[in-house]
Amino acid sequence: MRKVLPASILVVMLGLYVALSGAVWKQQERARLEVPAGYVIPSKFSRVLALGQQGLLSDFLFLKTITFVGGRIGSGMPLSEDDWRFVEHSLDVVTDLDPYFKDPYVLTEGLLAWDAGLIAEANQLLAKGMAYRTDDWQLPFFIGFNQFYFLKDFTAATESLMVAARLPGSPSYLKTLAARIGYYGDKSKTALLFLQELVAEADDPLMRARLQKRLQVLEGSVVMEEALDRFVEDQGRNPEKLVELIETGYLEKFPVEPYGGTWIFNKEGRVFSTSRFVDGFVPQEKD
Amino acid sequence: MRSVVALAIITFKEGIRNRALFGIGLMALFLLGLNVSVAGFFMRDIGKVTVDMNLSALNFAGLLLVFFVAINLMAKDIDRKTIHLVLSKPISRSQYVWGKYGGILLFLSVSLAFLFLFSCLTIALLLALYPDYFGAFSWGQFVVAATFVLVKLAVLTAIVLFFSTITTSSLVTLIFSLGSYIAGVTIEEVVFYLKSDWATQERVVSESLRTVIDVLSYLLPNFTVFDFSLEAAHGLPIAFERIVLALGYAGGYSAILLLLAGFIFARREFN
Repeated sequence: MRKVLPASILVVMLGLYVALSGAVWKQQERARLEVPAGYVIPSKFSRVLALGQQGLLSDFLFLKTITFVGGRIGSGMPLSEDDWRFVEHSLDVVTDLDPYFKDPYVLTEGLLAWDAGLIAEANQLLAKGMAYRTDDWQLPFFIGFNQFYFLKDFTAATESLMVAARLPGSPSYLKTLAARIGYYGDKSKTALLFLQELVAEADDPLMRARLQKRLQVLEGSVVMEEALDRFVEDQGRNPEKLVELIETGYLEKFPVEPYGGTWIFNKEGRVFSTSRFVDGFVPQEKD
Repeated sequence: MRSVVALAIITFKEGIRNRALFGIGLMALFLLGLNVSVAGFFMRDIGKVTVDMNLSALNFAGLLLVFFVAINLMAKDIDRKTIHLVLSKPISRSQYVWGKYGGILLFLSVSLAFLFLFSCLTIALLLALYPDYFGAFSWGQFVVAATFVLVKLAVLTAIVLFFSTITTSSLVTLIFSLGSYIAGVTIEEVVFYLKSDWATQERVVSESLRTVIDVLSYLLPNFTVFDFSLEAAHGLPIAFERIVLALGYAGGYSAILLLLAGFIFARREFN
């Protein structure tokens, strides 16, 4: 009896503990999603607080950042503006702690530029990386892409691409791409060439999936733009609506728009979508 | 000289027999193992992360060795009064200090060499697993960085010995040495921040504080001098002068501390 009682209490407590522990972890999981992104200690302090382990701290902070983004995206929660600011600050601190670290720059391009739309901030971070990783062609390539695709600054983009093309290990088509921007400028085909390169370079499954979705929608745009070009060349006028392309046989069917928007076009022959290629687009009633 | 070597060997044996060694060794091996599983979470710079984690594991294990084993080898000797047994032998007080230092250094070198071997194994394993993600990694720089972890610990040991000659309790030695370590790894950032244009323009620092910091920068060891982890992580070139200068700095600083420790120790009364 003397042994049975403590033993049974132990068993009960163990069961209770396991249940409680599970509940606590679930609770934390929910809490982490609900809490705002929080505060990143500025690098002025964290460089000191790292106690000489700046490299390790940068690895940890980087992991924390991708876990945060992955958690939000995985649970289907869109990131708020504050969340993106948090990601931007984190990446800034990570690259202050170790400015040679490649991963945060890749994430900067994949997330800050593409998803958050913080183009200027992304380019600033990438420029910081260029000052240290002087042999890395991808950083000017990313900057050039942002200038081309988001900022529509074709002169600057061409220059950045030429910088990238001169660095060791850069693919040979960069020069062609730079020339193409100068000639065609704002066409989906150019963006597609860029994006194919980005997808080929993306190893992280999270980013890869997002980039591939973009790739799919751009491929759709290219098909549409090419059909539109042929139509304009033959008919000497723009169609009234994109459906006309199908009716006149220039296009078999509309390509899939993975973001759920409707294809539209402008007078310059650019085809894009009402979703503006952003996740979580809700199609609106036509007025 | 012979008595110094004899004392060093005894100190080394005493250190190796310490049970804490197993715990510290296991922890370091765990950290190295963790490295293998964590490396896959990163996208590109797996080589950098691996080097960071390996050097940090060596560094952390080394610090634990100094703070939990090395301190006992000297301070506990005084604490538990076992020092009387040693000092009754024909050995001078300063010989005792140098002998202890040699023994602790030998103990640290052997322990770290063992961990370094495992560290190389993890790197080799990860190198085989992710050959494309090791960028500019070079073994040479890694060996330099790992060696300087030991150099840093050698300086720290000199600090420990210095403090154990002036304090009466090993706990006080631990606190003083830990404080010196923290100050030593952070002082460079603080000094350069205070010297930066921003701090000068904003006048956030008074002239007197600047003088204090200047003096402190000579008194405290600058452990950042021995930190080559950034170079090792990214395969950046390490200038030869930097290595020579860092070794000279370490040697000079430790020698001064040990000489001072010898003077103080010779005049110390035990009761």
